[in-house]
Amino acid sequence: MKKQNSFSKIFQSYGTIIAGLCVILVFSALRPDAFFTVRNLINISRQISLQVIIAIGATLIMCVGEFDLSIGAIASLGGVIAAKMAVAGVPLPFCFIAPLVICFVIGWINGWIVTKFSVLSFITTLGMSTILAGFTFWLTGGSTVFQNIPKTFTYLGSKSILSIPYLSIIMLIFTVIFWFVMRHTAFGRKLYAIGGNEIAARVSGINVKKNKKLAFALCGAMSALTGILMASRLGSAHPTGGDSFFLPSYAAVYLGSTVFKEGTPNIWGTFVGAAILGILANGLTILQVPTYMQDIVTGLIIILAVIAQKLGQGDSK
Amino acid sequence: MRKRLVLFALVVFTLFLSALAVSAASPEGKNVTILTPYMSSVTTNQMAEYLKTNLEASGVKVTIVDTKGDMAQFASRIEDTVSAKVDAMVVISVDPQQFATQLENAFDAGIPVFGVDSGFIDGMMVNATSDNYAMGEQITKYLFEDLMRNEGTVIMLTHRPHPGVVKRCEAFDEILPEYDGITLITEQHVDVPNPIENARKIVENLFLANPEKGSITAIWAAWDEPAIGAAQACQDAGREEIIIIGVDGNSQAVEMIEEGSSLKATVAQNFEGMANIIAEDIINLFNGGTIEPGEKYAPGKLITAEK
Repeated sequence: MKKQNSFSKIFQSYGTIIAGLCVILVFSALRPDAFFTVRNLINISRQISLQVIIAIGATLIMCVGEFDLSIGAIASLGGVIAAKMAVAGVPLPFCFIAPLVICFVIGWINGWIVTKFSVLSFITTLGMSTILAGFTFWLTGGSTVFQNIPKTFTYLGSKSILSIPYLSIIMLIFTVIFWFVMRHTAFGRKLYAIGGNEIAARVSGINVKKNKKLAFALCGAMSALTGILMASRLGSAHPTGGDSFFLPSYAAVYLGSTVFKEGTPNIWGTFVGAAILGILANGLTILQVPTYMQDIVTGLIIILAVIAQKLGQGDSK
Repeated sequence: MRKRLVLFALVVFTLFLSALAVSAASPEGKNVTILTPYMSSVTTNQMAEYLKTNLEASGVKVTIVDTKGDMAQFASRIEDTVSAKVDAMVVISVDPQQFATQLENAFDAGIPVFGVDSGFIDGMMVNATSDNYAMGEQITKYLFEDLMRNEGTVIMLTHRPHPGVVKRCEAFDEILPEYDGITLITEQHVDVPNPIENARKIVENLFLANPEKGSITAIWAAWDEPAIGAAQACQDAGREEIIIIGVDGNSQAVEMIEEGSSLKATVAQNFEGMANIIAEDIINLFNGGTIEPGEKYAPGKLITAEK
């Protein structure tokens, strides 16, 4: 009887990870020659890297109980600015740093509007997303920026060190940094406190407005970084290239919040959430499952994982 | 307990679907993967389906991958297709220059890469396409000379990220200065997916800015779907004096031309011809034949109410 309870507890705490491992086992069994290989592991790590980086920013926003709809548009803008600067012959470090700074400021403006005027973040960031989409189209004339991009611009996105892609390394570095920040610094604890109960956080002396603005600004910078790295990976910057990161980012955060028993957005959870989505897309493509079926499976897994989490918490009706 | 059941159901479901996919594979047949970010486009869909039908008729197992406009996913799916060690890969409606790094992996793995309505880079086998510049030139001159009689105003509906569309736009850009009596009012980018609805909204809004009849002589649409949306907007607003042209020759556009709507002409791309070229080359390759790498053209045809 005790044994049954411990099994139940393990499932309640780590059900999503166990389900993810089962999915890996299934794919490995069906295509061991293609799926369960070092080459494909590297492949997956590279493919999920951009999703993880942008979803880290979304995690910060969800920790403070807000929502940022502009992450995709910021990523598109960041990539386009970097690519345009590279084409214009600006030294590479500036091509990477300038969009980060610009998008940090854009994120800060999002946070400022939300906190200063008590506007719903949903509406504010929707408006910002529309403005940025228009600005990006104006900047590019609607065309993809790819002609005359220097080869060196693509190194970060396409090269490896000891067979490990730079993209995967950058993803791991930022995951560890933000895990540390969220887990072991006052700033991280303040964000969780604000998300848990904003009024209580304010009463206890936390500067809610400042911390929220910083969360939005960091989210903007992470989105820009994603756009820059995507432009580097593809050797081109598409004016709507970042848009597609938006929904999977929040799916990764939600899925990630079911990974550990806390049930709150957390950095490693987001990493695992993005990894599960990436593994599904990779494995199902390798198995040559039609695209529509991939969408159905991915959507079902997200819903089932969240239901499972709720059942685990015992708060389902 | 309920949670365990849900998780169990999840794993069983994934297993079932995956097993279904694997059992559907013909062990003797070759595997070809078709990749595109634009499956929701009628014409891209037609090309993929023509190709699939032709290849399956020869016993080839075909998988279609659509990334719904997501270019980063498209790059990832190319990598996955290389990992899957398919016998051939076909990309539809994308510029391979933008995915050169990923396609290099396919070339290195010895996977033959074909294109339909795409571009061509070294390492690919064949890209079958229309001469988009020639089609843009043909429809633009027909509009300016035969329909507009060398004078009036024109609105451009474009989507320059598409490799074929941008060539047609370049033809327009180069021809326009040769006609002093014709003025470009504005160029508007039409978002995809859902270009018909998006173009319709754009044109409705442009009517607000140009309310007088005769203020807009023509609408030049870079492909048929925005042309259809523009024609619907003209009909609703009673602005049927506006002349609209498109490119592609999709069945809905041809029907509207025949019915006498504002949509007056299109240049039919030979999508079936492009798909047939690639299907024949792939089958030829699988039969041990050799292929001359490069671009192959399926000629276009001007369609009007008269012809």
